Amino acid sequence: MFCSKCGTINDDNAFRCVNCGEQLQGGGPGSSTQQAPGGVGNVPNYLVQAILITLCCCLPFGIVAIVYAAQVNGKLQAGDYQGALECSGKAKMWCWLGFGIGLLANLIIFGLQIIGAIATGAGSMRGY
Amino acid sequence: MHKKRWIVLSGFFALVVGGICLFLFDPAEAGFFPVCPFHRLTGLYCSGCGSTRAIHALLHGKFLDALDMNPLMVIALPFILYGLGRQCYWWFFGKKTTARRLRAFWIWIILIVVVTYTILRNIPLYPFTILAP
Repeated sequence: MFCSKCGTINDDNAFRCVNCGEQLQGGGPGSSTQQAPGGVGNVPNYLVQAILITLCCCLPFGIVAIVYAAQVNGKLQAGDYQGALECSGKAKMWCWLGFGIGLLANLIIFGLQIIGAIATGAGSMRGY
Repeated sequence: MHKKRWIVLSGFFALVVGGICLFLFDPAEAGFFPVCPFHRLTGLYCSGCGSTRAIHALLHGKFLDALDMNPLMVIALPFILYGLGRQCYWWFFGKKTTARRLRAFWIWIILIVVVTYTILRNIPLYPFTILAP
């Protein structure tokens, strides 16, 4: 079962959340806890990827991904499993978009450099 | 083998090859390192500009040079490596990714730090130019 406070997956008959200590079964069945569909609590927030994208290839897209990563954790804290899943998907999408565009931009710049080097006939491949 | 194991293994391979390249060649001189598209397009420094030079300096034990290039990257690097390692461990051994979560509050703080840092290092006045690569 999920902790309604922090989203951590706990043993089904746990009394308190192993992560934050929130009481899980205070009101018996039908209390504030939420059963995840399929019983799998896998809602990755892609925070590490988002930060790497921000720092290494594509700042604006990485920022958007970090915003969604924060929302994943925020919604899990609030017990909104479905919302968290949606934000997780968006975080993943923006990470891949940032990665793809960063890679593409690098390939284009690299290609232009080679053309430039051939055109001038000199080693103009420096200066970064 | 599971698909994610291949991702982990190829990622690890890329990291080692990248590390060796960064150790052997100085990004300030060699022209084949990836360039920052953001810097190329706008002329502004992004939050990661100077990272390859910083890591090159770190690999040669020049901690202060690395701080000079990109202080945020140097501070963030251990956390990034930890996060990556944790993720790779989960992917490799098929563990769940919900074991422990950062509170959303701290992710917003990270976001504010990165954005503020990016703005500050683009101010062309003395105390802020320290942050620029």
